[in-house]
Amino acid sequence: MHGTDLSLLTPLLAVPAAAGLACLVARARRTMAAIGVLAFGGTLLLGGRLLQQVVAGGAVTEWGGFLRADALSAWMVVLISTVSLATSLYAGRYFQRELAAGAVTPGRVREFFVLTPAFATGMFLVVLANSLGVMWAAVEATALSSVLLVALYNRRTSLEGAWKYVMLGSVGLALALLGTVFVYAAACKNNAQPLPSFNWSYLQTVAPQLDPRLVRLAFVFVLVGYGTKAGLAPMHTWLPDAHSEAPSPTSAMLSGVSLKVALYALLRFHILTTACLGSAYSCHLLLGLGLLSMFLAVPFILVQRNLKRMLAYSSLEHVGLICVGIGLNTPLTIAGALLHMGYHALTKPVLFFAAGNIQQSYHTLELRLIGPGVVKTLPVTVLFMGLAAVAATGLPPFGLFLSELLVISGGFAAGQTAVSVLVLVALIACFCGILTQLTRILPGPSRPGRQHDGGSWDGVPAMGLLMGGLLLFSVWLPRPLLAVLQDAAVIVGGNP
Amino acid sequence: MNPAISPDIAAQLIALFAVLMLVVQLLLVVQRMLLTSIRLFAIQSVFLAGIAAVVAYFHGAFHVYVVVALTLVGKVVFLPWLLDRQVRRMNIIQEIEPLVNFPTSMLICGGLTLLGYLVARPFTSLERLGNNTLAVAITLVLTGFFLMINRRKAITQVLALLTVENGVMLAAVALTTYGMPLVVELGIFFDVLVAVMILGILVYRIRETFASMDVSKLSQLKG
Repeated sequence: MHGTDLSLLTPLLAVPAAAGLACLVARARRTMAAIGVLAFGGTLLLGGRLLQQVVAGGAVTEWGGFLRADALSAWMVVLISTVSLATSLYAGRYFQRELAAGAVTPGRVREFFVLTPAFATGMFLVVLANSLGVMWAAVEATALSSVLLVALYNRRTSLEGAWKYVMLGSVGLALALLGTVFVYAAACKNNAQPLPSFNWSYLQTVAPQLDPRLVRLAFVFVLVGYGTKAGLAPMHTWLPDAHSEAPSPTSAMLSGVSLKVALYALLRFHILTTACLGSAYSCHLLLGLGLLSMFLAVPFILVQRNLKRMLAYSSLEHVGLICVGIGLNTPLTIAGALLHMGYHALTKPVLFFAAGNIQQSYHTLELRLIGPGVVKTLPVTVLFMGLAAVAATGLPPFGLFLSELLVISGGFAAGQTAVSVLVLVALIACFCGILTQLTRILPGPSRPGRQHDGGSWDGVPAMGLLMGGLLLFSVWLPRPLLAVLQDAAVIVGGNP
Repeated sequence: MNPAISPDIAAQLIALFAVLMLVVQLLLVVQRMLLTSIRLFAIQSVFLAGIAAVVAYFHGAFHVYVVVALTLVGKVVFLPWLLDRQVRRMNIIQEIEPLVNFPTSMLICGGLTLLGYLVARPFTSLERLGNNTLAVAITLVLTGFFLMINRRKAITQVLALLTVENGVMLAAVALTTYGMPLVVELGIFFDVLVAVMILGILVYRIRETFASMDVSKLSQLKG
């Protein structure tokens, strides 16, 4: 235990918060971009250290147990840092072009560079907070800091997207708070004294004594509540709107990690519910919603006319798969689901960055207007987009193939043949959908008269970082990562 | 435990305030003037603070007094003032016709109240102060959602969201002896403040861009 040591978790929160404040006073856009890159580079290093420490010595606590990180939290910290780092790398050049094109004002760009670290700080707090109540407040903070990011362009459509996002998100979070209150009540039934703590680490130890009826009710509220924020069907309706209307760096953050952070919050309650009621109840609910999300995404991908909306629906499918993996509740499928979180966090931002480049060169996201032949104008972007699309659809040699295989084969091994077959069908349908849509716009002859205004090397550092990571970790998982994944799978599975 | 007040009286006071919260909520459902609606929300929050004050006094719990103070400062004074100013600045006095007319709304809310009592019934057997208020809390949440769907002005939707939040806080008082831990209450409080400010910014921008606060005009994004 590191009760008095403040060297790891505190800086994870302090560094991005300080970066946000520094961007408030920084003069140049270049400086703000550099601050972001430095800050998230720093948190990535801290995340790496946290990973090793968690593997070596179990959970790390600070502030007398107020902050706590176990293997699951450490895994999430690494994901948040990676995606935020790539986003800051990409955002500098992206907003330089947006400013040059007159799409945003310098004030709005500052808003982006201040709110993005705030958004990330909120996510770090979600995964590090020990109290379930503080976790809720942190999830709400991430929602609030990202709303203004979605509305950044101040267009009619982006205001509509932001309004739907904030209203649905707030309704969801109100329900999640009600669920959190129910869990608290379940813990202090017939107790004249105040509860010693509302920490999940404590609640897990007393889980069998919780009031089962209240826990049952609480999990439904929390599932609908955090499920809204995680984009699970049928509460996903804000997701395509917000993802398509936000600036591309923000779309990458929303899709790459924000959905998974909400899923993390849901997982903490899932672990608690499993410990109290047995695994069947919450697993079946997760399994059902996961499958529904996967199948709901398919038709929308097939008929989609907007590039970023299509990517958003693909995220819905991936979140569904993660839920199915956890719902199947075997060590293999849970590890597959957690691994899938990581690979998806490396893949989907690349697609959104590439979509951002395409939008800046073609001034539209309508697939029909982008037309064939993007490869002629933006060869590098298309290379990355093609690779990421192949990865996202689950083809080897990329890691998503491995994680999807783990979930499907784990399902077969557990005797859940029907579920595995359904997952397979949904995956194949999405595969066909995304690849048909992209082959319509990426290859082929360029349209005559199409002007391209440069920028073919835009975003290469960010996309290169993520794709490099994806390729590397697809063929080789370092020992600490593997150990953390195994530990996290045990934590989620609830059999220590 | 404070001997100056008997548990019986405390329980009755809490029940009274809870019922008054529900009455205010129903008035809100049939209220068209925006400024009056904001005032009704402030009154509802006064009753919530009253319930918390009774709990704090009866148990002699210091941290619940903090919750009382926060509710009074935030939800009774600050947020109504903020919304009031915004409504006056935008010069919008009245809500347009709701989707469901007022008599039908009243009937639906009556149904929702019954539903609230049904849901809460299995949990009212536990012996605790103010336990009978859980039904009211659930009803507040349900009618808050109904209010949100039924109205088209962005400001009214924000008010509806705030009444839902009042309902959740009432549930926290109803189900637990001392309310939530202080750090959680503080987190919730500041989140609600920031949420209303951000919603205010958005409402302002929507009004500037669409020349209207009617959210049914936000319907371009589909599929």
